[in-house]
Amino acid sequence: MASPFSGALQLTDLDDFIGPSQECIKPVKVEKRAGSGVAKIRIEDDGSYFQINQDGGTRRLEKAKVSLNDCLACSGCITSAETVLITQQSHEELKKVLDANKMAAPSQQRLVVVSVSPQSRASLAARFQLNPTDTARKLTSFFKKIGVHFVFDTAFSRHFSLLESQREFVRRFRGQADCRQALPLLASACPGWICYAEKTHGSFILPHISTARSPQQVMGSLVKDFFAQQQHLTPDKIYHVTVMPCYDKKLEASRPDFFNQEHQTRDVDCVLTTGEVFRLLEEEGVSLPDLEPAPLDSLCSGASAEEPSSHRGGGSGGYLEHVFRHAARELFGIHVAEVTYKPLRNKDFQEVTLEKEGQVLLHFAMAYGFRNIQNLVQRLKRGRCPYHYVEVMACPSGCLNGGGQLQAPDRPSRELLQHVERLYGMVRAEAPEDAPGVRELYTHWLQGTDSECAGRLLHTQYHAVEKASTGLGIRW
Amino acid sequence: MKDSLVLLGRVPAHPDSRCWFLAWNPAGTLLASCGGDRRIRIWGTEGDSWICKSVLSEGHQRTVRKVAWSPCGNYLASASFDATTCIWKKNQDDFECVTTLEGHENEVKSVAWAPSGNLLATCSRDKSVWVWEVDEEDEYECVSVLNSHTQDVKHVVWHPSQELLASASYDDTVKLYREEEDDWVCCATLEGHESTVWSLAFDPSGQRLASCSDDRTVRIWRQYLPGNEQGEVHYLSCRGGMQRLLTQWKCICTLSGFHSRTIYDIACLTGALATACGDDAIRVFQEDPNSDPQQPTFSLTAHLHQAHSQDVNCVAWNPKEPGLLASCSDDGEVAFWKYQRPEGL
Repeated sequence: MASPFSGALQLTDLDDFIGPSQECIKPVKVEKRAGSGVAKIRIEDDGSYFQINQDGGTRRLEKAKVSLNDCLACSGCITSAETVLITQQSHEELKKVLDANKMAAPSQQRLVVVSVSPQSRASLAARFQLNPTDTARKLTSFFKKIGVHFVFDTAFSRHFSLLESQREFVRRFRGQADCRQALPLLASACPGWICYAEKTHGSFILPHISTARSPQQVMGSLVKDFFAQQQHLTPDKIYHVTVMPCYDKKLEASRPDFFNQEHQTRDVDCVLTTGEVFRLLEEEGVSLPDLEPAPLDSLCSGASAEEPSSHRGGGSGGYLEHVFRHAARELFGIHVAEVTYKPLRNKDFQEVTLEKEGQVLLHFAMAYGFRNIQNLVQRLKRGRCPYHYVEVMACPSGCLNGGGQLQAPDRPSRELLQHVERLYGMVRAEAPEDAPGVRELYTHWLQGTDSECAGRLLHTQYHAVEKASTGLGIRW
Repeated sequence: MKDSLVLLGRVPAHPDSRCWFLAWNPAGTLLASCGGDRRIRIWGTEGDSWICKSVLSEGHQRTVRKVAWSPCGNYLASASFDATTCIWKKNQDDFECVTTLEGHENEVKSVAWAPSGNLLATCSRDKSVWVWEVDEEDEYECVSVLNSHTQDVKHVVWHPSQELLASASYDDTVKLYREEEDDWVCCATLEGHESTVWSLAFDPSGQRLASCSDDRTVRIWRQYLPGNEQGEVHYLSCRGGMQRLLTQWKCICTLSGFHSRTIYDIACLTGALATACGDDAIRVFQEDPNSDPQQPTFSLTAHLHQAHSQDVNCVAWNPKEPGLLASCSDDGEVAFWKYQRPEGL
């Protein structure tokens, strides 16, 4: 079966991130009978085992069974990383949590929160022939119908990712003289890219990657820290699900950096792809267009939630565009109205320049897809990368074309993608600086824009991964 | 039959090691060999014997598995188990490593230059095939990463005149690729072999592709273009109901029962092909002159037992001198042969 993960991750060998362990620790319970002496075992023709007691009597021995679920519950010695990720984070898991909630006493129940990405919403909108606002409202309605308590939009957490990226770039640009590895700064929102970088290029590339968390993981902080406090719950009492356009996001959610040691809970418990939500709708027998739209939830009371909002700059979050315009303003006092992209060797590799009086002030690029990532990394290695900032994404055409998005067998895929892009672009764009609720959260939740809290909750770290050398890791 | 393949000479090309592959330069004057000793040797004639003119030893950390000359003859590419591909520039008898192509996750199994000289293909145990483009300043950039195979990719070869790429894999298939818009796509999968496909060779006209396999057969495949006379027509039913005529490849001949072990390499001439086999033998087959081009038959015209003392890994016809064949083996030796077309054929 072809792997559903991005090309970059397919070549990266996931097993080095979730290493199989050498020993199966699954205890197999066997009834022990009192008695001394050594037992003999006889194998029958049909393969069954019989123990022959000293008195000649025989007893058929039970087979020790280790089920897949047992394997997943332990660290998983024979199960590959892909299987672990896909099975542990699935719509079946969500259903189990919702069912458990129904049976549990109120104090044992978990608050279930779903955060939907704008890309997944656009994909569903295309499939059901709805506009983005109706899709958002009907999805909210659906999730609440099955027992989810709150449904949020990761466009809100994306404000923070963009603001932090903007600030980080300006800081590094100004500090170029002191630090050789300050630039280029590479975007960090794509886990396919991050895991590939950690595994293949390790300590060389990692200092160049932005430490800003992705919108998924900022939402993790928002839900399990801010929102939990608001609801007077400890983070482990919240089950946080995100809906994403790709499978790689499942790997991101399972990173140790996003695991809260104190409360033994992940910032994001389960990532569902757009396709898995579609399957969930089918299994529940629900037709999304037929649902009554519900009002949208909002993380902060100040924000109006009549319709969803988004960001300019394309379907992968708009990092290049936001960092570029902010840097132009902050560093050079230039206001950029429209960002002009110049395609290079292919449509997934484009550049943007800010020039004044013949001088190039800023040189940015977007590099999507593995082949362009390769070329970028090789150029960097040779010291021949002319860019100050690169928006790197593992999937050709970006997140709207992620491996978890809905396919339409009866339509040419390019046409479907264009439709999804149109629907995505229909949503009103907001500048992160002006978005309601953001400033208040910086003040009250994070205690300031460059605070220790902001650093801890909005940023992350990267770790070079060594190639696993255990025999179990080799796939022959 | 034995007389049709005569030994001209042997050289201990990679002593105490295996010789994995051979490549004649386009002029037919030099032979590059590579091996488990991590070295590449360049051989040329001096009078009647073959002597080693250069040793390229600083390029790789592990076995060099394949070498390939650029169409202009000025560059040599080497694919290694150390996961890199080196590009060497020839300066008379000296070779300098001008670039190292990185990116494959593990052992690079093959490298091949496109007829234009601007493109290079590599393949690896990581199951992928990469297409690279070289510019005027000898800078290489990755143009495409193709993940069509489901297992180790053993060999890549370009069509002699078109920008069409073929790959052979441990997944028992042969795949073909071409450029579509701004990316490369797999445009055909040839199924039929029952085990690993080890090598491929286009015949000089490019109309046929020969493949050899661990299943001990050679298969000949023919390309049927849209509108061909044989009426072979294949459509791709696109989404949206559009239909697109495809070129299709059909297996027109299978040579079975001739080889007692895995066939590791195959080399084509017009109407003839040579095979390198794990039973230490070299065989030559000639196409029967009266056979139907759509369903050709081949006869075994040379079968040299014990051509080497171990597995024969590679056979290569000299591009300029008719009948001159080079072979190499796990025994570390390179042998030169003269093939005489038997009377009556």
